[in-house]
Amino acid sequence: MHEVTIGIGGAAGDGLDKSGDTLAKTAGRLGLHVYAYNSYQSIIRGGHIWLRVRLGENKVQSHGDNLTCLVALNQDTIERHAKEVDAGGAIVFNADRLKVDAKLHGVKKDVQILGLPMSQVTADVVKEFGPIQPVMQNTVAMGAIIYLTQLDFAEAAGVLTDTFQHKGQKVIDLNVGLLKAGYEYAKSQTKEVTGSWTFSRQRRPFITGNEAIAIGAAAAGCKFYSAYPMTPASTILHWMAAHAEQVGICVKQCEDELSVINMAIGAGISGNRSMCGTAGGGFALMTEALGMAGIMEVPVVCVEVQRGGPSTGLPTKSEQGDLFQVYGASQGEFPRMIVAPYDVVDCYWSTVEAFNVADKWQMPVIIMSDLLLSEHPETIDADSIKSDVKIDRGVLVDKWNPEDGKYKRFEFTESGISPRAIPGTPNTCYVSGSDDHDEEGILISDMFTSQPMRRKIMEKRMKKFEGLLAELPAPKLEGPADADVTLVGWGSTYGVINEACQLLQEQGVKANHLHVKYILPFHAKEISAILSKSKKKISVEVNYTSQFARYLRSETGIGMDAHINRYDGELFEPKQLAEEIKLALAGKKVSLDVSEDDAREMACHYLRTHGGEKFRPGKITRQDKSSAKEPVWSIEIVDRLSEEKVAEMVIGVQTGHTFSYKSLVPAVS
Amino acid sequence: MVESTLKQDAKAPNTNRIGLTLGDYKGSPSTLCDGCGHDAITSQIIKACYELAVEPHKVAKLSGIGCSSKTPAYFLSRAHGFNAVHGRMPSIATGVSMANKDLTLLAVSGDGDTASIGLGQFCHLVRRNVPMIYVIENNGVYGLTKGQFSATADIGSKLKTGVSNELPPIDICSLAVEMGCGFVGRSFAGDPKQLVALLKAAMSHKGTAILDVVSPCVTFNNHEGSTKSYKYAKEHEMPIHEIGYIPFYEQIAVDYEPGSAVEVKMHDGSHIVLRKAAKDYDPRNKLAAIDTIHKAIAEHQFLTGLLYIDEKKPDFTTIMQLDDQPLASLGQDKLRPGKDALSAIMAELK
Ligand SMILES: Cc1ncc(C[n+]2csc(CCOP(=O)(O)OP(=O)(O)O)c2C)c(N)n1
Ligand code: SF4
Ligand SMILES: [Mg+2]
Repeated sequence: MHEVTIGIGGAAGDGLDKSGDTLAKTAGRLGLHVYAYNSYQSIIRGGHIWLRVRLGENKVQSHGDNLTCLVALNQDTIERHAKEVDAGGAIVFNADRLKVDAKLHGVKKDVQILGLPMSQVTADVVKEFGPIQPVMQNTVAMGAIIYLTQLDFAEAAGVLTDTFQHKGQKVIDLNVGLLKAGYEYAKSQTKEVTGSWTFSRQRRPFITGNEAIAIGAAAAGCKFYSAYPMTPASTILHWMAAHAEQVGICVKQCEDELSVINMAIGAGISGNRSMCGTAGGGFALMTEALGMAGIMEVPVVCVEVQRGGPSTGLPTKSEQGDLFQVYGASQGEFPRMIVAPYDVVDCYWSTVEAFNVADKWQMPVIIMSDLLLSEHPETIDADSIKSDVKIDRGVLVDKWNPEDGKYKRFEFTESGISPRAIPGTPNTCYVSGSDDHDEEGILISDMFTSQPMRRKIMEKRMKKFEGLLAELPAPKLEGPADADVTLVGWGSTYGVINEACQLLQEQGVKANHLHVKYILPFHAKEISAILSKSKKKISVEVNYTSQFARYLRSETGIGMDAHINRYDGELFEPKQLAEEIKLALAGKKVSLDVSEDDAREMACHYLRTHGGEKFRPGKITRQDKSSAKEPVWSIEIVDRLSEEKVAEMVIGVQTGHTFSYKSLVPAVS
Repeated sequence: MVESTLKQDAKAPNTNRIGLTLGDYKGSPSTLCDGCGHDAITSQIIKACYELAVEPHKVAKLSGIGCSSKTPAYFLSRAHGFNAVHGRMPSIATGVSMANKDLTLLAVSGDGDTASIGLGQFCHLVRRNVPMIYVIENNGVYGLTKGQFSATADIGSKLKTGVSNELPPIDICSLAVEMGCGFVGRSFAGDPKQLVALLKAAMSHKGTAILDVVSPCVTFNNHEGSTKSYKYAKEHEMPIHEIGYIPFYEQIAVDYEPGSAVEVKMHDGSHIVLRKAAKDYDPRNKLAAIDTIHKAIAEHQFLTGLLYIDEKKPDFTTIMQLDDQPLASLGQDKLRPGKDALSAIMAELK
């Protein structure tokens, strides 16, 4: 498959997300497929930001694990990532400020090193427009990338024109000028890193999962959205606030998540299609109200976007650690739907479906996503999202004739669904109580607890599960039926597991893939039927305890042969995942030791938190004999300017413990 | 042992009463944006603790979640820290105070952490009068989650995107006075002299000391149209008095005309001297304080200084009749109620 991956690295505030956008939008307009992932930290400026943009003629389903081009906005990025660029690729950087030393930085053979002498390259533009801000140099680098990756210059210029439209022609000309300067310089100095593409030029929208959820809600007729900002759910709120007037949604930023969900329930009970959104920590505060929506049978949609936990955990990293929290949220038993979309387009359709299920089955619906799905942008087919979606508001009572008897809000029915009258409908008044109640809403445990009534009302609510399950499509096995191994996953890992299956296939291992979208209710029968035919089963989850595999076993009695887990804040990548699967099939475990790369990253982090930008980690050697009770990594710390060795750091291979940091130069003031 | 890579001064540095240098009160380097008001407040906290010769290991640093709540990492690296979850610091602090009343509780929170998600907790903390210094680094936005309005944003104040805030602000100081707080001050990150004096005075107070400090967020709320920007605060700040602090271990050198200043003796024997500025203001008068704060809000004035003080209110450890010995340090013998007490309880059940 024809594809390239560009890595852009720098500090927060370097404006690298804008550069990534220009690149991705250009490719999207040319009809290429794009998948981008930004690895960032919970600070507003500084830190290490690492954005990867993967482009392909066919659909790309993850950020991949190759690097064709590297754009380094600081020296740190060169030191960390120059070695990852594949042969035939290129490294682009500002040669006025940064330097690449092929040997020192481990640059592979046949990688082109393109240092942009920035002041020289931009001289003409500066002459015309005056001095440029440092972030604008990124545009020069993007120009070089457009040439190297053989994208279309005019299309990229078009993207910049649209981006800066509101700032006027002069700013547009300046930016296009910078893009051109970078493009021409690269053309004169290097050769392209890829062959020419076939551009369909069918423009593809470039959107994130959170945007897809927000747009899906708008399409479904959501009229109330409440939230309290929390990464990685905030961008739903931002989209809603920015489009509230345009699409007619009442958007409320609340003081905390208790209010958030209670407001949404209030709006839901009163007849609105309402939604709220948060991350795991905020959802923890919502649990009490969720059960209330359960007992009152209120339609409400809640988006729970997972990030690394527990507690504040890893605020800017992805994880699938909240399954049990969402599954078990709130005391007692009540029907709820939990749906875990598996890609950006599915975020849209799952949201539309969530509103219909909530209304029809009168229950809370939780959409479980995660940071990766919610924040990474990708291109989608323009017609994969349609605005004329089906809307099912369920059985509503808009008129009631008192001669037909008393209206019963919780009337016992075959399906468990009681026709719903919206407050304000004449002759239908009722009280929704958080105490358990009978058909009319009268409390059943005030004077004494009526056992039969309790049984009947429980049965009425709980049987909605069966009816709903029957309506939902069961998961299907993807890939060859006679595979050697079945990979089991849920949520955002769909794409990467698919790619790993393809890689395994190429390497002679037949793998198929079972991806489960509906967590509750659960297709236990269908899933059992599929898995009982599998030769080997391996679960793949971004968590420590394989929560989904445990849940699956509890529902089907089927256990996995092996579990593959990642819980270090970063994501599965196709090649690495394929390798782990092969290891697991051979009955081996992945090493949990601190690798040389890990040790380097740890040293970088230590230097950053203790001394700033002056030093960098240099040579790293493993010492199996040391005074520690384990092998250690001995890391030279080098002064960036003088290249002098200034300190030595020792990190345990097994424990990751920092045994020492010894300064070799006298401290100066 | 891990040595720090931080450089040490070559010449012998100045030390305070307990032989510590200013550097000993610092923390790790800040990761906040350059120019963030929170960093300015951090510097004054370091200065106040150094000058008062606070013993770092006897301090419990507390915070919730937010850019502001990250700052305890940037001061007093020799003190213990409790970086709680969002909005829950007040109750954690109450627990800490109950367990070890000998610790000095020094808390930093944000306007979101305190006035949005933590408002209920804040009110109850003040009501209990838990002895602690509670600094709210108030920037009118949620900095850490990228600059949405918080509950202290002034009505009509504008975000960078042009969005205007349409709800009235919660005024932390008037709320604190209303809830019965015995020490309420307001200051500005750009007024280090006043801030350090207020911090010191707060440390001498026995009870909850609330300091609402306007602390501009340079990234999201420092533009034209914001009422929490450096420019706006500088132009509108109106100190109600000049505040001087004389620690208990120093002699009072009276150099003011009688009647021209208010002098308050603090619980630990320290004194604060408030030199009257434009207004004839006595911070010991609760109704006058409320009146003054409300008038200032109505007239869009940014009043700073010690707005209210009451040194007589009993603090929570007193109300709870805690033993002189901190609960956390009780030995085995005192930890258990004893055989007799348990037998008596069992006897009641027979
Ligand atoms: C329960 C919960 N909800 C939301 C968040 C996300 N969050 C983190 S910090 C913050 C607001 C911080 O604002 P403030 O206290 O004013 O601090 P600042 O960053 O402005 O200093 C929010 C909403 C969270 N951590 N926990
Ligand atoms: S975002 Fe605002 S509050 Fe946070 S560190 Fe930056 S300037 Fe300070
Ligand atoms: Mg704030």
